[in-house]
Amino acid sequence: MNVLRTILSILLSLPSVSWAAEQEVIATLDLTDPAALQEATRVLEEEIKLAARPQTYVLIDLEAKAILIKSRGVELHRLQIERWSASHFSQLATAYHLLERPPINRRKINPIAGTDQDPISLADMPTTFTLRLSPPLTLLVISHTDGNLWQWAIQRGHAWWHRLTSWGITLWTGNRPPSSLSLHLTVSLDHARSLAWTVTEDMPFLIRRTTIP
Amino acid sequence: MKRTFQSLSSALIGLLLVTLVQNSGITVSDASTASPTAIDPTLLHTLQVRYKTLGKQLTQLMPTQPYILVDTARNHLYIKRGDQVVLDALASTGSGTILDKPGDSKGQWIFDTPRGEFTVQSRLTNPVWVKPDWAFIEEGLEVPGSQADRVEAGVLGEYALGFGKGYFIHGTLYPRFLGKNVTHGCIRLNDDDLKRVYHLAKVGTSIMIF
Repeated sequence: MNVLRTILSILLSLPSVSWAAEQEVIATLDLTDPAALQEATRVLEEEIKLAARPQTYVLIDLEAKAILIKSRGVELHRLQIERWSASHFSQLATAYHLLERPPINRRKINPIAGTDQDPISLADMPTTFTLRLSPPLTLLVISHTDGNLWQWAIQRGHAWWHRLTSWGITLWTGNRPPSSLSLHLTVSLDHARSLAWTVTEDMPFLIRRTTIP
Repeated sequence: MKRTFQSLSSALIGLLLVTLVQNSGITVSDASTASPTAIDPTLLHTLQVRYKTLGKQLTQLMPTQPYILVDTARNHLYIKRGDQVVLDALASTGSGTILDKPGDSKGQWIFDTPRGEFTVQSRLTNPVWVKPDWAFIEEGLEVPGSQADRVEAGVLGEYALGFGKGYFIHGTLYPRFLGKNVTHGCIRLNDDDLKRVYHLAKVGTSIMIF
């Protein structure tokens, strides 16, 4: 009877084991491209360290043009990247940690007033924001404006201001500013808000680069 | 005077241009293209083997048992087994509002649902709510000295799953608020969904919250 029970429990556990083994860890990978494989193995080595701990982390997959919110190697949520650009691209090869969340305008409860405060929602999240990571990397998230000229102007201004301040610091001090490593991501309005919502202080970030020589 | 100004301004412009070029780095974008290179078959094989090995290591870290996934932005709770969604329930999560702690100029409560990975630590039936200080302060009431005055029955539903630091998945008296961020950090579900979650989750079941 015990033997039968043991066999049955082994058989029942098989589907979950085979499910795990069949998962394709990196979907958009050309297995005949050595540079792509090299990058994928680098990312996997870093991700295994992150997935071994109980935490959520962000994988910015530039090859798949997606921002993946992950935990234990499982993709929890996917945000699409519409466009991206990066300076000092080859140096984006380490694990980063977020220094602080984008500022959120939280409502304060006033017990004397006796009225409920509106909760924060996705609509309260910024659509263009900068994430500062450690080691120094600036992640500029810009939302796709869908022809809104005013918003486009604000975003361009934001991006140019960032560049100008970097150049200004260099000109003034003669040293390259620590935030000269930068990655610009253009995403949809909803996805920009979702990312602002999801990230938390000290959250680990990984970047999978495209295989451009 | 004019000549001095001209040479000074051209020197400044020159300096600015040099700085711009030096600091722009090589900008790469999604529009950039790769050039073909020769492939070393031995290296390729080594990399393929390494990739497969690492892929296996990562999949071994993935949960093999059903787990709870909570999307706090869209207020949904899922139970997943692998890629399969066993349950998709409308939920209510933290409101993100803040409340000042009286008598503490810097102290405040932030009513967020915690993010990250947690585990079910307790499974309760017919739970009672032991109201914390903020529940009284928020309503403009005095915090009672006696523990008995904090106990409120029948507000958390039939079941509660604790996942640490006073946070629970529990029921609600206000199902009309499901789908909204209205809680003080706990995760609320309707009675039917709560019952299913209670029966599917065990102590130790993973809860991934983002």
